[in-house]
Formats: sequence, structure tokens, C-alpha cells
Amino acid sequence: MVEPVNSSLGKMLLEEVSPVVMVLCTPLVEETFVKNGLSFVETLKPFCNFSNIDVPVRTSGDQLYRLKKFTLRLFYASDIRQPNIQVAKQRLEHLITQAGEKDFQDLESDPPQIADILSNPESEIAPTWFQHYNKELIRTLSFSDHEAFDHPVACLLVVSSKDEEPINKFVDLFNTNRLPSLLNDGAMDPKILKHYLLVHDNQDATTERTSKVLSEMRSTFGNNECNLLCTNSSKEGNIEHQANPWASFKSDVSADKLGCALTGDDIVEIKDLMQEFASRHVIPYMEQKVRELNQQISATRKGLRNQIKNLWWRKGKDDVPDSTKGSMYTFSSTESQIRILGDYAFMLHDYELALSSYRLISTDYKLDKAWKHYAGVQVASHLCNYVSVEEMMGLAYFISDQSKKEAEYCMENAFSTYMKLGKSGFQNSTRCGLWWAEMLKARDQYKEAASVYFRICGEEPLHAAVMLEQASYCFVLTKPAMLHKYGFHLVLSGDHYKNCDQVNHAIRTYRSAISVYKSTTWSHIKDHVYFHIGQWYAIVGMHEVAVRNMLKVLDCGYQSKATQEIFLRDFFNIVKKTGMKHEVVGLQLPVINMSSLQVIYDDHRTYASQASALVEESIWQSLEDDIIPSLNSGKSNWLELQSKLLPKKYKESNVCVAGESVKVDLEFRNPLLISTSVTSVSLICELTPNSDDLKLVDKEPSSSSLGPESSTEHNQGTTSGFSSFTLSEVDFTLSGGEKKLVRLTVTPSEEGILKIVGVRWELSGSIVGVHHFQSVPAKAKTAKGRKKNKLTPTDALKFLVIKSLPRLEGSMDHLPETLHAGDLRYLVLELKNKSDSPIKNLKMKISHPRFVSPGNNEEELTTEFPDCLKKGDGQTIVQHETNRTSSVFAFPKDISLQGDRSLKWPIWLRAAIPGTISLYFTIYYEMENVSSIMKYRTLRMHYNLQVLPSLEISFGITPSPSRLQEFLVRMDIVNRSKSDYFQIRQLSTVGCRWGISLLQPVDTILPSKSLLAGQALSCFFMIKDCKKSETEEDKTMSLPPSQTDVKLFTQDDDEKLFDIVNSPLASFHESERSCQGASDQVNPNTVDFILISRLAKSSNPSAVPDLPKILSHHSCHNRIRSSNPLSWSLDGPQTIYHDFSTSLCEVKLKMIIRNTCDKLATVSIETNDYLPEAAAPSPSSGNQSGWRYVPTVTEEMKLTSDVMGSRLGKPPSSMESSPPFIWSGLSSTKVPIQPMSTTEIPLQISVFSPGIYNLSSYKLNWELSEHENASSSSSGTCQGYPYHLTVLQSE
Amino acid sequence: MANTACFIIVGRNDIPIYEAEVGSVAKREDAAQLHQFILHAALDVVQDLAWTTSAMFLKSVDRFNDLVVSVYVTAGHILFS
Repeated sequence: MVEPVNSSLGKMLLEEVSPVVMVLCTPLVEETFVKNGLSFVETLKPFCNFSNIDVPVRTSGDQLYRLKKFTLRLFYASDIRQPNIQVAKQRLEHLITQAGEKDFQDLESDPPQIADILSNPESEIAPTWFQHYNKELIRTLSFSDHEAFDHPVACLLVVSSKDEEPINKFVDLFNTNRLPSLLNDGAMDPKILKHYLLVHDNQDATTERTSKVLSEMRSTFGNNECNLLCTNSSKEGNIEHQANPWASFKSDVSADKLGCALTGDDIVEIKDLMQEFASRHVIPYMEQKVRELNQQISATRKGLRNQIKNLWWRKGKDDVPDSTKGSMYTFSSTESQIRILGDYAFMLHDYELALSSYRLISTDYKLDKAWKHYAGVQVASHLCNYVSVEEMMGLAYFISDQSKKEAEYCMENAFSTYMKLGKSGFQNSTRCGLWWAEMLKARDQYKEAASVYFRICGEEPLHAAVMLEQASYCFVLTKPAMLHKYGFHLVLSGDHYKNCDQVNHAIRTYRSAISVYKSTTWSHIKDHVYFHIGQWYAIVGMHEVAVRNMLKVLDCGYQSKATQEIFLRDFFNIVKKTGMKHEVVGLQLPVINMSSLQVIYDDHRTYASQASALVEESIWQSLEDDIIPSLNSGKSNWLELQSKLLPKKYKESNVCVAGESVKVDLEFRNPLLISTSVTSVSLICELTPNSDDLKLVDKEPSSSSLGPESSTEHNQGTTSGFSSFTLSEVDFTLSGGEKKLVRLTVTPSEEGILKIVGVRWELSGSIVGVHHFQSVPAKAKTAKGRKKNKLTPTDALKFLVIKSLPRLEGSMDHLPETLHAGDLRYLVLELKNKSDSPIKNLKMKISHPRFVSPGNNEEELTTEFPDCLKKGDGQTIVQHETNRTSSVFAFPKDISLQGDRSLKWPIWLRAAIPGTISLYFTIYYEMENVSSIMKYRTLRMHYNLQVLPSLEISFGITPSPSRLQEFLVRMDIVNRSKSDYFQIRQLSTVGCRWGISLLQPVDTILPSKSLLAGQALSCFFMIKDCKKSETEEDKTMSLPPSQTDVKLFTQDDDEKLFDIVNSPLASFHESERSCQGASDQVNPNTVDFILISRLAKSSNPSAVPDLPKILSHHSCHNRIRSSNPLSWSLDGPQTIYHDFSTSLCEVKLKMIIRNTCDKLATVSIETNDYLPEAAAPSPSSGNQSGWRYVPTVTEEMKLTSDVMGSRLGKPPSSMESSPPFIWSGLSSTKVPIQPMSTTEIPLQISVFSPGIYNLSSYKLNWELSEHENASSSSSGTCQGYPYHLTVLQSE
Repeated sequence: MANTACFIIVGRNDIPIYEAEVGSVAKREDAAQLHQFILHAALDVVQDLAWTTSAMFLKSVDRFNDLVVSVYVTAGHILFS
């Protein structure tokens, strides 16, 4: 801590609480000194501060002490009065304005770093002019009645030797009507020390006269009280002082002119004069006065007796009405005497005495205050007296380095009392506050000091601004620094400065505040600070800096719309004022989403559409695996070629082709709520031409490019006059908060190295935003997998431009976006090669062969759809099975595309399954006659299809219980679509093996003719196995190869059926087969169905723009369903006539058993001669599948049906015990049956009486095993089917 | 009597995590930044105080004119002002 005396407050007090010397001089004296550019007082002023006057002083005690530092304050008599507040205010304002102008040049620089501020020494943190300001502010309060330290101690009467009758002049000068009011109205003792000074001007006065006058003076006023001052010894008046003593006191005049007529001797003389005046006259006079007063006061007030008396007297005084009405305490009153004693003691640095006097008077005042609280106006002045004493007491405590607490208490008390006084006490409270704050600062209590400054802000903005700024500096000085508060108070202060048009100061404070708020994330604060400082810079005409600051607020999406509008409007206004285009790197409006950056370009991979370019590379790669030449093949491919041709450096960069554009997708986001129009958005590129020697390129690439605008350095052309690449320019408007993906392109026209450096755009035609890509990782869409990790972001935007190549363009015509499942469409693939060099060896691969099947030749184009699919057109195209599995379609070898010719190729599309399907086509082609890095290219096409659900079919096939070759087919159709109706047209079985026939008339299947949305339908068909098996010699195979198609509609009888054997239906079926039965083992015993339907009515025509003409539904690998692997039939006569009188009847039967599964089955037949009760008539498998095979019913059967029914339902009790027939022959046999084969077992029964017998009392036990020796894997038992045998008594 | 309030949660390094203006009266247009300034400035006081007291709720740690700042400090020194 600094010693109180050496602290700034100590110095201040030394200067301010010091004896005042009143100067009275004649006009001629002034004239003398005006030659130096100074008034008389000003001339003397620098010599009134004595750093080591070394005068012995003895005040109250007997102790002598020596005064070291001492100051005299010189004032003209006319100035010794309370200054006019308005004038003072103007002076203060002038001072601030001046200071502001002085700082002006610094404002352009960047705000200081916060670390720099903190590392500055304390004295440099606050601007120096604050000291002056505070001094001036305190001076506005000088010369009040009650403060004795402002009362003149001495009077200096000055007369020039040129004056007429100088002695009279001296007398005249001390004339009461020219004296200040203080002396006249009795606030102070008019009897003060007088000193007479005669000024002799060496330039134009004679020495004789002067010495005469001096002796005259000495005789009149006394020898000691008179002095002679000789000045202006320099005749020429051009003396320049090395360290001009006046410079610091008079700042507004150029320093070299000051005191130009004063020689060094003159200055020494002045110095001596003042020293003598102070030490010989002023100090002894004060010393004496202090002693006098002290004695007087000791006599009246000190000691217990006097104390009591004083109390009593004060009480008594209360009874007498106060009649003076003027100042209560005139100089002769005891209180004033004590005050004078205290102040004089203070000025003489005898703080002990000062303190004791102040304490004494303070108690007096306190008492008075208690008694006189009703005295209206006088209370205020009285309080002032009291508080001022408190204040002085605090200062005395401080300066004498005594009780800290006391000092603080006194100051606080004084301060708050002044504050209570309201407006009248404001100035006093300001001074008190300033002192208090200084006191706190001296004690390192900066935080408290700041709050004091804050409290003395008052209402006047300028004053408040200065005080707030001082408070802010206090916050920096606290340990640890309170930077938040610092910033806040700076901002507050800046606002106040702005309110009183001190823009320079406002900028200065905000500039400092920015160093605090620079990295803050408190958005409103940041915006506020930057916006306002920007505005203010614009006011002072520093538009560049203004723009720089305003840029920071443009990304203000969180602000209200109104605020954003204000921000933008002001920003653009300022920009307009600068009258030039500003290029701003990293402009935040609009915001560029770098993660959205996608570079799309064609190297050997070309894309048919935007969508296809965005597809993941791995999908394409897996698709193209088969068709592009593999890397490992011995042939030199393009990769090896490239590596041979080019240094390694270029292998790393992407390759693009001259004349083909590189597209960059970039997302722009408007952070604001108001719409913003962005114009002239384009890429910034550099194209370095390939020189013959590639090494040259390693040097700094000289940019040889021409942008659309040559204002930016990047796009400037340097070499040639023509542009080596073209850039696209995009204009768009972003409404509030909108994001827009913008496609920018650059098309190089020469070979070389192309670099995409960044993007630029314009805002309202005057702001050019530039964004460089380098710093951000960009994902190059088409970066090859093998160097994925090696690619730096810069590399991704760097391209090797190679010579122009043919490029195939392809499109798929008539491709709908929405389809129904099963929808069969006819599409045309159109391929074009615009360049002159031909391409050859076209190959195509399709990602979903199930969906797409390329046609066979170009001629198919001519045929009409869908009639071309129908039968009987004489088409002889045989179903081709050419390696479909690879799904690579090679175009005929002779196809070569060139020039304007286009190739049209038919493509069949069938929507196999509902859902969203991405179809990928990749077409490989090779360039002819081009010796280039690239030997081949691929065209990639990508389409998305939405497939709506339509019909869903399922089939159930169950073997007929009676006929081994016949099967019953149940088809369940459900219309799964939401609103569409379908007509079913045709059901076909695939292949020649299965014949199909209707079981019911077409009309009865679906009377409404079309299947409504959500409707389900079941219908039944019979299929017949027409396959001739080597093992079978079935008689029922007599039927000719039956038809495989059934027409399921009645109208248009002449309409032909669809030919399912031909492409494309056949080929689609092939792929369906492989898809549906992928997991299944190949089972020859399955049936494939194709159902062909038509959309009858779409309730929502917009959903499917062009109505599908034909839909095909394929159901493959439908297996014959039964719970056991066996099917068998009992063969034998139906009706037998037998004469039972002769013998029992023996009937021979034959059982044909077929093993329908693919495993070896071992079957044993077990016959029962009695009917099992429960299991009697229920052939398990038949009923379960929901249909009952009704055999053709004969007349006889009908007759006996009742009997049979009753027997089946509840057999007669008589039959229970004795079966009507017994199984004869072998009763149990075991036969192995090979997979998918049949065997015959002879059976025999013996019947004892005529009747109808149900021969179902047998069981088939089967066991399946993988191989003959293997352990059985599954086994089961089948109950026999009912077989009715009628035995009649023969006649 | 202040009728408006501002609630801010401040995380590490004085970064505001959450911000809400509460209050029924028609706001001054500069209320948002004023509140931010005051709360931001109060951080200094809070940072001093948070280490000297074990209390988590610091009532009226700072004030500016008629706006009073009260802070709830979590154990991890997340501030709810």
C-alpha cells in the first residue's frame, strides 16, 4: 500500500487543501505579463508548488516539525467566489471534448486484448485526463462560506512600476468593493495578511523610478511586506525554455511561446520570490494564527467545565430566536474559529490538531442539528457545515494514516448525508465521493471505490459517463479483476457519453468493452456492443471500421424481427456510405453449411441425373464390379495408365474432363427472420494450365483464371485474355430461416489443375461475401474408395482436368414414379453421345433384375403394348434362357454411338413387390480412338419407384383324394390397394406339365367383374399333372396336353390370352422364380402360377398418372400341400354281385401309394377288422383344407347314401361287435418307396353278406429317412380314406 | 418494482446454456440486452461469493437500479441466475 501522503488522494489534498493567496493587481501588471502569453497568476503558478520548502513549524504543542511539501494557490480576487455552475459545466464539457479529440486517432485500431489491459500498470489503465476532470469538478465547489481552507490566507497586491501613483494604487486595490463576497459578508476575517509587490518590466521601465517607488512602498507598508519583481529581462522576447514550466498549466497554447520574454534569471527570481513569500510570510502567519486560535479555544471549549458550559449555552441559545438570517456562523463565532483552526492545522499538516478540532466542532454541530432541525432552509447550510467537517475529518484520518475505520465512517457519513440533501448537496457529494473513492483506491479497495463512483453518477449524463468509466477502471484494478463488471460499466458509460454527443468517448469505452466481450457467447450483449460501436464509427465517419464491427451482428437469428431489420438496414446504410464494395471473408449472412458441401463431378463415372450422383459410391461399385475391367487383370487399364503417365502427385487428385462441369452443392441458410436476397453466387476457382514439364506446376500455381467478375483476386486472369473456365452464377432469395441447397458449377475448358477455392456472393450489391473451403473438411462425393482416407479436404476440391472425352447421356422414357405391384410397363432407354468420337462395347447392369428386363432388340420398339404380349401374333420368339443370372446385359457388339445419333432400347419394367424401390442402372462403355487416361466410362442412372400394393395372391394345392394326378387349387386373392379396383383376366400355370381347368363357371367366380379395394376372393381350379413319368404308366394320362391358361373374364371373348411363355413375362417369371424360391430346394413337384389382371378403375387418378394396362402376379414354387408325405388311392371295383349262398365274397383291391416327398419312405399297411369308434370316417387331410372331394355320384350311390350316412355317423350297434368284412390276404406289409415314386400293393377283403362297406379301416404307418440306412427322421400314421364298396346278392 | 425477469442458466466458461425472459409487462425493447448485461456483470460477484459460502442459493448477490440478481449455484458451479 502506498503511504497516504504519496497516494493520489494525498497529492490531491496537498494541492487542494492548501492556503489560498488572493492576488490583486493593476491592469499594467497584467500588460507586462501578457507579453509572455501568460497572466500574472499563471506566471507565478508553476512556482507555487514546493517539494521541499523545509520550514520549521510549531503549532499547538511545543514540538517543532518541518514542513516539506507545500503548495500555495493563487487566485485573482475576482475569482474567489463560488463559480457559476453553468460556466463550470461548460468548462467540464470542453475538457471532455478536448480529451475525446485527443484520443480520436487511436480509435481506428483494433480493441486491445484483455490481457494487455490487465498487464498495464495501474496508472495507465485510466486515461490521464480523468485527473484533470476530477480536479476541475472539485474546483466547482471551491470558495464556499464554511470551508476555511478555501478562504484566502494572504493577499498579494501587485502594482507595476509604470503605474501612476503606485502607493495609491496599492491602497485602491484593497478596496472593499473589489473584494470577494467572502470577505465582505463576514464569512471570513477581512483582516488578512497583505503583501505588496512591485513589478518592474525590464523592457520598458526605468530602474530609477522603480527603486524610488520601492523605497516609498517600504516606508508606507513596512519593509518586510514589500517586494520587487523584475521581469521580461529578455529584450528580444524569443527565449525558448527547455522544460517549459508553464506547459502543463496551459495546454491550449503552443508551449514554446510561453514565457518567451523571461530569462532564466527571471524565472529564478520568481521562484525565489514565491519561496520567500511562502516561507517567510504565509506559513508563519498561519502558524501564528493556529496558535492564537488554539489558545482561545482551549480557554473556552476544552476541559470538562467548558464542555458542560457549552452544552448549557447551546440549549439556552435555542430559546432566543435566530435573528441573523444570514450565515449562522460568522467568522467570529466559536464554531468558525474552530473550523479555521482545524483547516489551518490541516494545511500546515498538523493533522492531530486538525482532527481534534474537527471532532470538537463535529459534536457541536451534531447538537445543533438536533435542536435546530426545524430551521428550514438553514438546515441545509448547517448540515453542509457539519458534513464538510465530517468530510475533512475523514480526510484527516486518512492522511494521518490513523484509524481506517474512522476515516471510512466519516466519509460514508458525509457522503450519505450529502446524498440525503438531494440536488443541493449533489456537488458536495460528488466531491466527497471523489475523495472517498480516491481514499478507497489508495487502500486497494477498488471494488468499494467503484461503487462510490457509481453512486455519484447523478442524473447528468456526461457526469455519469465519466464516473461510470472511472468505476469500470476500478473493476479492472480489483484483484482479481472483475472483468464482467468492467465491461458492463464501460457500456453504461458509453451509452451516457453517446447521450451527450461525446461520440468519441462512447467509441472509446465500447472499444474497451469489446475486449471483454469479444469471445462471449452472450448474444444480446455481443450484438448490442458491436452494433452500437458500428453505428458510432459511422457517425464519426470511420465507415470501414464501422462495417467491420457491424459484420459481427449479422448472424443475429435469435433477435426479434424488428431488431434484425434495424441491424440490416443500418448495416447496409453504412456500407452504402462507404461507396465501395466490401469483400468480407467469412460473412455470416447467409450461413454456409459446410457439412452440406458436395462435389459432384464426372470422371470415368458419369451420372445421368442429380439423383444418381448422390447415391452412395459403394452401391455403384458393387453394381459395377462385374463390368468394369478388374485392376488385377494383366491388361493395362486406365489406372495403371494413369499412374504411368502422371507423377504421384496427380494420382491423388480427382480427375475431371474438360468441357464437363464440376458441380458443387452447398447449403445456404438464412439465419435471420427477414428474407434476404443473395446475388451472384459463384465459386472461386483457380485453374493452372498443364505445362509440358509437369514439374513446373509444383511451383506456386499462377492463377490463370477468369471469373465472372474480375474484382476478386482469385478469379483474375493473368495469362490469357480468354477464360479458361466458366462459372455459373446463381441469384436466390432466402426467406426467414430458410435453407437452400444451391448448385454451383465450374466448367473448365482447358487441361490443367483446377482448384475450387471457395464461394463468393453479393448482398445488396455492395457486400461481397467470400467463404474459403480450405479450412473445412469437405466430403467429395465421388472420392474413390481406395484413397478415401488419404484425401485431404483440399485434395477433394482439386481436380486434374483432362482432355475432353465422349460422354454418354442416357434417359429412361415413360418411367412412371408410382406403380402398382405387378404392373408391367414398357420403357424406352435412350442413349446419346454428343461428341464426335464413337463409343463401343456397351454393357448394362441393373440392380434389380426382378424389376427390369431389357428387351432383346431394337425392333421390339415398334410393337404395340400390351398387345404384343398376347398369343397368336405369329411371333416365334422362343423363350431365351441366356445367362440371366449375371444380370449383365451386353448390347450388341455392332452398336457404336457417335454424333447426334441416339440409341433407343426397349426395357421392360415390372413392379415385383410393393414398397419404395431404388433402381440403379449402370452402363459401361469404351471410348474408341481416344488415347487418354480414361479408357472407359460408365453412365449411372438412378430412379426411385414407388410401388403401391395391388393384388395379393396365394395358392393352396391339395391332392385329390381320389385321383393321384389331379390336384385341387384354391386361389385366394386379396385386393390390398387402398382405392383401386382390379379385374382379373387370366390365370396360367407355367410350363407344360400342369394343365389347368375351371371348376366353376367364370361368371360365378366374380359376379361383380372387378375386385374392389380390400375385397378378398377365393376360387378353385383343378390342375392336372401332365408329366409322363418313366416310373408311371398311369391310365389316366390319356388326356392330351391340356391347356395351361384359364380365362377369367367373360366379355371380349375374342380377346386373346397373354402369352406367358414369351419375353418379357417369361423372363420376369424366371427372376420371380429365383427370388421366391431362393431358399427352397429345387423341388420339381411344384406349380408356378401367373395371374394377369388389369386395373379396372382407379378412384384416385392422380396417384397413378397413366393407368397400368396389365399387371402380372407370379406365384412360384407352390407345393402340393398335405400333412403327410404320402398320397394313395385304393383301387378296385365299386359294385360287386355275389352269391353269398355259395361262398363268402373275396374282393381284390389295389392300393397305389405315392411318396410325394423327396425322402425315402417306408410304409406299412395295417388293417383293422373292426371299426374304430372315433376315427371312423374322418380322412384327416381332406377336410382340413376346406373342401371335400365329392366323387362323381352314381344313381346307386344316391340310393344308399342314407344308409351310408347313418352308418358313418353312428354305426348300428349290431355292427359293432362283428365287422361286416374282414381283411384277408396280407394284413401287414412293409414297403419302401423311393422319393417321388409310386408303388402298388395288392389287398383283399372278404365280405360275408351283401351291403355297402366302407373300407377305411386301415392305417398307413410311414417313416421317412434321408437314406436307406439312416435312422428315421420322422414318422406318422395316416387313417384310410373312405372307400365304399357295394356288394349285392347276385340273382 | 421490477415486473420483468430474466432467467439464465450459465455453464462453464460463462457460456449461457438456457435463457428465458419472464414477465408480464410490456418489455422495454432493450430489456433483453440489459438483462444480459446485468447478469453477465453479476458473474464477477457470484464467482467471488460462490467460493466463500457453502450456500447454494445466493439471494440478491448483485443489483442494478431496481433489478436484483439472485443466483442458484449448483455443486458443479452451473449458475441459475
